[in-house]
Amino acid sequence: MSVTDPQPPAPDAGADAAQEALRDRIAADSLTTRRDYLRIVATVSGGLAVGGVAVASGILHRHGDADGTPQPKRIADRILPGESLAFRYPGDEDRAIAVRMEDGTLAGYSAVCTHLACAVLWRKDRGSEGELYCPCHEGIFDARTGAVTAGPPPRGLPKVILIEQLDGSVWAIGTARSGESLQEGLCRQQGDALRLCQGVSGPGAAAERSERS
Amino acid sequence: MTDAPFPRDPEAPRPPAGPPPAQPPSYHPGSAQPRLNRPVYERYPQIRPTSGYGDPRIRHTGPGPGAGTEQEPERSSKLSARLALALTVLIGQLWGLTIVVDEWMSGDTGTAWWGAGFLVLSFLVVLGLWALDPKDR
Repeated sequence: MSVTDPQPPAPDAGADAAQEALRDRIAADSLTTRRDYLRIVATVSGGLAVGGVAVASGILHRHGDADGTPQPKRIADRILPGESLAFRYPGDEDRAIAVRMEDGTLAGYSAVCTHLACAVLWRKDRGSEGELYCPCHEGIFDARTGAVTAGPPPRGLPKVILIEQLDGSVWAIGTARSGESLQEGLCRQQGDALRLCQGVSGPGAAAERSERS
Repeated sequence: MTDAPFPRDPEAPRPPAGPPPAQPPSYHPGSAQPRLNRPVYERYPQIRPTSGYGDPRIRHTGPGPGAGTEQEPERSSKLSARLALALTVLIGQLWGLTIVVDEWMSGDTGTAWWGAGFLVLSFLVVLGLWALDPKDR
């Protein structure tokens, strides 16, 4: 049988011809040309460009990006060695975690994984001295520096600057982004109000701050 | 180098100028024969829209639409090359967007803006590839 052979009439052609035509139309292969694909690619490319400009404009929330200077906040009366504490600082949407390591080191980080924003947990039974662990995709962060030691996270955890008073109470006083040191983050937020930042505030430091902000 | 085998006699009258060389016809997709440009359902009314490789009436599916009827077959490969280029640029944009997000979240806003500029320029390149030769299909 060739493609030009006439088709025998279907027995129920008159009965449900309309329904058959509808089924044919729905099931028909779409004739998508390469030019159509090129148009789709151009549309997606435009979407990516708009997304990039939106990201650079600040559509994404960064830990500690709040209006004004963050105020010190007392987060705990005491944190024992090997323990951790979940809190929110400086805003209510900024989830953070404070960790007291066995040797007494106190560290604070954002509790939002930099991979896909899952919650980061303190696991003192993992590694040699415990580690920050994201259970979603096995992301692991160093508890002393916040740097990525394993897994898919693309950058280290943003830091929360913690201080401990003589009475043992723990205070959060500022934040630092993934690429900043604690001093850079504190000076970015506090400006010249701190004596710590007066030594680093010069034309170069001011330019760096404006570049980073 | 001239076409004449011997030098021209300067005293001889010049031959009349011939007609100007014909310009190539403007391109239009499909065949010069209108009957070949009819849609498939007019050329082969027995083939239903759902006909495909599973249709027992079709033994040879053929090389595809436009085969054997295109006036300039090289345009097809150029369109394929443009599509491949656009897809390559798109992959670069996906990589660039990850860099923009990473730099922004790290606090390096200046680099993030450079990345955004790269994304916009890449989009313009894809737009140019799309706007080139709009009659190709």
